[in-house]
Amino acid sequence: MFPTIFDQSTVPVLEQMIGFAQARHEVLAGNIANFDTPGYKVRDLSVDAFQSRLQEAIEARNEQHMEVSPGLLKKEPVQEMQKVRETFKNIEFHDGSDISIEHQVTELTKNQFMHNLAISIMTSQFQLLQTAISERV
Amino acid sequence: MITALDISTSALVAQRVRLNAISSNIANMSTLRNENGEMEPYKARYPIFKVDDKIRTEHGAAGVKVERIETEDVEPQYKYQPNHPLAIKEGDKKGYVAYPNINMTREFVDALEATRAYEANIGVMEVSKNLGQQTLRILA
Amino acid sequence: MNPIQSVQLPIMPSSVNAAQPAKGNEPFKNLLLEALDHVNNMQKDADAAVEQLATGQDVNPAEVLTSIQKADMTFRMMLQIRNKLVQAYQEIKDIRI
Repeated sequence: MFPTIFDQSTVPVLEQMIGFAQARHEVLAGNIANFDTPGYKVRDLSVDAFQSRLQEAIEARNEQHMEVSPGLLKKEPVQEMQKVRETFKNIEFHDGSDISIEHQVTELTKNQFMHNLAISIMTSQFQLLQTAISERV
Repeated sequence: MITALDISTSALVAQRVRLNAISSNIANMSTLRNENGEMEPYKARYPIFKVDDKIRTEHGAAGVKVERIETEDVEPQYKYQPNHPLAIKEGDKKGYVAYPNINMTREFVDALEATRAYEANIGVMEVSKNLGQQTLRILA
Repeated sequence: MNPIQSVQLPIMPSSVNAAQPAKGNEPFKNLLLEALDHVNNMQKDADAAVEQLATGQDVNPAEVLTSIQKADMTFRMMLQIRNKLVQAYQEIKDIRI
């Protein structure tokens, strides 16, 4: 019972979001550091791929409650969430001519905002669970 | 607010292109030949900005992009230097050398304006980032 | 002198939570269950909003945070109400007749 206590909450979703934001931060920081390196191609992690993979994992988890007809392969929701981690390695290389340093800094800032948002939400979820366990409001 | 950051970034990129054009103009104010080596005095370049439809919110805010770089079409300045190797040999401008006609004052004022615009956009980005941080304080 | 007569105790209500006509003649028990449902729905709404934010759909981060905070507050208020009810029950249980 205890390992699955968080599966129905938003905590696994937020975990993936935080992990992706951290991986992407490193890629973008590498871009800024290598800005003057000759022949360097700007790279990025694909946000769209991550979000659609996450959407599939969420749907797999929500399906668990639906009636499963015999013969339908059931996806393990925990495994689905772990597989989202594969998108952390999809590095895209950009052509390089229209990517400026301002662009990289802005992407870094947006990424930071999403990361902090996910951490704040996750913290408040844990605090709520703590309140419920201790019965002290 | 995430889109606000994108809009400000598009402005930063556009102003930087403008500043590049201005520095090119000032650097080349005495250039007599063009890139192909032909005898053509340098003409001032300036970018034309346009509203960028790809960066927009649903309420109508939109970013900016450089549509193209225009070359100014003005008469070059003529100076009488009959002994110059590149002086015009024939015609009514015989003995004159065609120099670029670049208005330094205007270029400097444009550079100031581009700098202020760049700084203003960075200020807007600071405000947007601040809004983002304050939003996180909704969660007590 | 009057003969001793048996004393009739006033009829006690069978339980504390019996049907006490409140406004609209709604039993207290139903109000409580409705409130629990409401709190649960707010939690579910907040969870759905977070999932939409994580998958990049068109949702305002401020609205997501507000719905999470509202769900939290109603949950804490419900928890406090539950604590008071349990406390009241224990006090009544300890009444010595």
